Amino acid sequence: MKPDAHPTADDGPVLTIEGLSTGIRLRKADVAAVSGVDLHLRRGETLGLVGESGCGKSMTGLSVMGLLPPGGGITAGSIKLAGRELVGLPDKHYQRIRGNEIAMIFQDPMTSLNPTKTIGEQVAEPVRLHRGASPKQARDRALDMLALVGIARPAERLGQYPHELSGGLRQRVMIAMALSCEPKVLIADEPTTALDVTVQAQVLRLLHDLKDRLGMAMLLITHDMGVIAQWADRVSVMYAGGIVESARTGELFTGMRHPYAQALLACTPRLTQRRDRTLFSIPGSPPDLAHPPAGCRFAARCAHATDRCRSEAPPLTEDRPGHTLACWNPVDGPLGPVAAEAQTAPETPAEPAEPVLAIDDLAKEYATGRSLLRGAKRSVKAVSGVSFSVEPGRTFGLVGESGCGKSTLARMIVALEKPSSGGVTALGGELGELRGRGLRRHRRNLQMMFQDPFDALDPRMRIGAILREPFAAQGIGTAAEQLAAVRDLLDEVGLPHTVLERYPHEFSGGQRQRIALARALALNPRVIVADEPVSALDVSIRSQVLNLMRRLQAKHGLTYVVISHDLTVVRYLADTVGVMYLGKLVEIGSPDDIYLRAAHPYTAGLIAAIPEPDPDAEPPGDRDGMDTEMPSPFDPPSGCRFRTRCPRAQARCAEEEPVLRDFDPGHSAACHFPLREPQPAAAQVG
Amino acid sequence: MTESTTDKTGAPTARDDREARLPDTMSGWRLTARAFMENRLAVTGLGIIVFFVLFCFAGPHLYTTDQVTVDPVSSLLAPGGAHPLGTDPQGFDVLGRIMRGGQASLQIGLFAALIATGIGTLYGTVAGLAGGVVDGFMMRVVDTLLSIPFLFIVLIVATRFSSTVLSLSLILGAFSWLAPARLVRAEVLSLRSRGFVAAATVMGATKARIIARHLIPNALGVVIVNITFQVADAIIAVALLGFLGFGLNYPDVEWGTQLSQGVSYLLGGSWWLIYPVGGCLVLVVMAFNFVGDALRDSIDVRLRRR
Amino acid sequence: MVQYVLRRLGTSVVVILGVSLITFLLLHGMSGSPGRAILGVQASAEAVAAFDREHGYDRSLVIQYFDYLGGLLHGDLGHSYKLNQSVNALLAENAGRTAMLSAVALILAICAAVPLGVFQAVKRNSIGDNVLTALTFVAYSMPVFLLAMLLIQVFAMGLGVLPAQAAQSSSDFVIFTEPRAMLLPVLTLSGITVAMYSRYQRSAALDQLAQDYIRVARAKGLSMRMVLTRHLLRNACIPLVTLIGMSIPLLLTGNLVVESVFNYPGLGLLFFNSLNNQDYPVLLGYTLVAATLTVLGNLVADVLVAATDPRTRRA
Repeated sequence: MKPDAHPTADDGPVLTIEGLSTGIRLRKADVAAVSGVDLHLRRGETLGLVGESGCGKSMTGLSVMGLLPPGGGITAGSIKLAGRELVGLPDKHYQRIRGNEIAMIFQDPMTSLNPTKTIGEQVAEPVRLHRGASPKQARDRALDMLALVGIARPAERLGQYPHELSGGLRQRVMIAMALSCEPKVLIADEPTTALDVTVQAQVLRLLHDLKDRLGMAMLLITHDMGVIAQWADRVSVMYAGGIVESARTGELFTGMRHPYAQALLACTPRLTQRRDRTLFSIPGSPPDLAHPPAGCRFAARCAHATDRCRSEAPPLTEDRPGHTLACWNPVDGPLGPVAAEAQTAPETPAEPAEPVLAIDDLAKEYATGRSLLRGAKRSVKAVSGVSFSVEPGRTFGLVGESGCGKSTLARMIVALEKPSSGGVTALGGELGELRGRGLRRHRRNLQMMFQDPFDALDPRMRIGAILREPFAAQGIGTAAEQLAAVRDLLDEVGLPHTVLERYPHEFSGGQRQRIALARALALNPRVIVADEPVSALDVSIRSQVLNLMRRLQAKHGLTYVVISHDLTVVRYLADTVGVMYLGKLVEIGSPDDIYLRAAHPYTAGLIAAIPEPDPDAEPPGDRDGMDTEMPSPFDPPSGCRFRTRCPRAQARCAEEEPVLRDFDPGHSAACHFPLREPQPAAAQVG
Repeated sequence: MTESTTDKTGAPTARDDREARLPDTMSGWRLTARAFMENRLAVTGLGIIVFFVLFCFAGPHLYTTDQVTVDPVSSLLAPGGAHPLGTDPQGFDVLGRIMRGGQASLQIGLFAALIATGIGTLYGTVAGLAGGVVDGFMMRVVDTLLSIPFLFIVLIVATRFSSTVLSLSLILGAFSWLAPARLVRAEVLSLRSRGFVAAATVMGATKARIIARHLIPNALGVVIVNITFQVADAIIAVALLGFLGFGLNYPDVEWGTQLSQGVSYLLGGSWWLIYPVGGCLVLVVMAFNFVGDALRDSIDVRLRRR
Repeated sequence: MVQYVLRRLGTSVVVILGVSLITFLLLHGMSGSPGRAILGVQASAEAVAAFDREHGYDRSLVIQYFDYLGGLLHGDLGHSYKLNQSVNALLAENAGRTAMLSAVALILAICAAVPLGVFQAVKRNSIGDNVLTALTFVAYSMPVFLLAMLLIQVFAMGLGVLPAQAAQSSSDFVIFTEPRAMLLPVLTLSGITVAMYSRYQRSAALDQLAQDYIRVARAKGLSMRMVLTRHLLRNACIPLVTLIGMSIPLLLTGNLVVESVFNYPGLGLLFFNSLNNQDYPVLLGYTLVAATLTVLGNLVADVLVAATDPRTRRA
């Protein structure tokens, strides 16, 4: 259970924001990034500010800091810190508040530290500045702070430079820096979005503990309902620049009143999502804030919208004590699962079919420079000895943290990269043996969906040309036939035919991913490899694309290999799940095997780290988790590569590399000391 | 990459999925053109270039002067009357001379830029596509040539050729392709790693197709920007050659030679030999730099909008 | 780091070898037979051939190249038949004055360009920035000699406060002994360089200003001035170091023009005079020295950058 915050009744709010409006002047238009936001924060309290990208949540945080980007400015409202008005405060006075009374942590720890100054200098800077500390005192304080944020061997870290630290450590340094003057208010803007899920849990727990210990108030800005549910005392939901609903966390999750809050929660992926149902999705996308619509800004996407919603903006009013709302037609509580339409799940074939794709002992090493003196070649072992196969019409899901080699694996499967050893057999053809024309012909069967929808479409081509390109490349059909096929493809992915003449830059991320999917479908492939197909998309758009992928799979009998760092995505799509760690497949099995009966400690830790969008669930990080981060793939640990982070590791793990052992039919894991007993019969090499 | 949640501008570019109320379509090139036209400096620059092209090439037809016969009687006349910009020591009308000199300077600048960009583009593309040892060797060659001061080698070579528009263009072009070669190679390398190139490979496109349909159209922007800067540099270079005495021979002239002649008379107070032609030179070079800067920015604009 | 320096040193040697090959080929292609050059146009073909045979100029190009290279390795840059002096002596005689002029101009340019560029980046699109941008644009678009002429016109002719010619003393330190006479050449040379450096510095500073760590530094409570001096300056100067290394050829070119315009007895003027004499051994000797300087400049810049940037220091 989440430790209690201690807001005492007589404490006034530390931070009060009233009617805050922030505009940004761009060359073409003025964007109303924030309009009329009311927030208040008490000592010891965490307020979650949740919304999708572009909703103005970061701008709210930056407005409080007085650090709006060029062209940005507060147009109305007030921000009071312990009764003191901050709006209009001269920079000279503001400087004494920033980093001293209010501190902020930003999203990307990789770019947030000055690359040419030591950690010690950077952490000590605020103390020197605000407390007038001597270099020695500041250094001592920096040392204390690094220890406080749980950095091992802090004295050693003081002299290091940011590039020598991993992402998780850098975010800890950022926290140490922000808290070094014990601010009253901490603004954490997506503090864990750039981090892996196992690290995310550690950092959020740390923030929570420090907030309690130092008696701060924390504004936690995030897009993730799971993070909110686990760590916020109260929540404000933001949409298109305005607050639509605010309430205590428990109340909001069980009794939300705004249709957007309801929809946002409904499309948040859960591990418990039933695979035979369509994911809930919000139609359309948010409005353009340079030209905001009249009336309620959510009206265009709202299932409950009336004419009044479209013409008259609802004010933010107190619906019941401590629960404010801006809606004309409130709903009552979360959507039940029944609201989503049932979808026919792909039937499990009665007899096991011949696999359409077989990966056999695949490995990839990259040489990285040669040492002049020693002559020894260093190499990164991106993928080592991965084997699995996929039956037709099924989905193989591959999960792992960034840098585990999953994208390299994907590129090898579609023959974008040559394996160092091992092979890929698709539809009976060994890709490594195919050359030139034969390989190009064979590629028809094997298509790919890329992660970044902005990068995957040639900006100089019209959509029509992009979608015709597969046919042209393969020399299929006449121009008229190609065009007809392209029109069919657009129908399949739910885009109007008018898009043919348009260019990629005119589309949103979700639309582009649909176009990319249409292109992948063009050649009627048997297998589609999807590398992080939805990770660049907002949650409400994400489920639109996932639903589409499922529908098309059922219709065309497609085989998918879905690669993702997001366990909920894989859980929803996959029939078989593989877990990768540092280039190795450590566990493989059915979704239930993996999510309910994990045998490998890494798998278990990964699952435990996911924040459930349910305030009653146990927050991650209490269980025996992984306190460290993935080591460099340059010199992977000997024996079991996970042993350096494993709570169960023993001497044997360093000496002997574990092989895959069977635990259930079709479920195997590579661990010397698994969480469950393996089947006694088989101790096979996978 | 994890979900991108920065709301830097707060302006979602997204539009409604279901409704087809998209604005008028615009190609990347038209977007570039629009951003370019919105840049006042760029339009000014373009205007200056158009003006000078007309001035130098159409001007002599409207304002005819004798630029062949030396006329010692009317030598070094101050501006006024029949000679709005005076005359030079040989008695040539300075305004007419600027037109004539401008023709040569503009021609050489453009030819040299085209030659340099042509060679550079080809070289850079081959190196970028070949990669490995070939690329390494080709780039070492570029490093080597780049370490020799450009003007030194051009001057040394120029001592051996009689200077004509063609020979100067060839010499300048032959030694200034290094920068575009590096630029194009870098562009090709970065394009090769882009998702849409991988997508084309996966759909079975041949190398030739990828080069023709993806690499060339996308690298074109960089090449075009380079041409404008290259013209500016070449005009300056040819002026330097002319100034140091390796310009066109009588009766031909370009701005650099004109200026070097003027220097000798500067102490005598014949300012009209220097300022008008010097002003023209700076204006034209500046105009090309403006246009190049604006083009680069407007191509960036298109990319930023993604 | 040591490895990096060694590797960089290796490529530098390769590049210098390449340059020597080019100068050798040019020497041959341009000047033709040394016999003809020494004996003059009146000499009979037989006499020329006999001279060339006697001095080994009839051997294959490859052998002659190795001869040339051997000479270079012993520091022998060749012989000027026109002036009947060794190229080494000619260059050595003039190098000091040129080095002084270039160094002073370069230092002046850096000292002006760095604050200018940073100021412009911080005050982006302000009137000050626009005026400076316009000025740098004009300077950047101006051939060196034109700037020199303008300065002469204004300060020497118009105001009459400075001489139009550079000091003619043969001392290497004339720049300090007769500063008034050297002001215009130095200003011309650094003016052109300032334009280039400050434009570059402005964009480098803009790049750094857009980085997250600047916002973080502001969020710590640092004033803009402190952010600039403590965080931005160093990072924004790293790319400039590379640029300075690469701009040595431009500096030497500018030096050539300035010395010719102001009649300052240095390497540039020597080069200019040799051009008119078609004295190829001197021309190519200086070219080789200039290229070597450039390569060394790049090497030093790269090593400096690698040494100041902690990201590469250990690699």
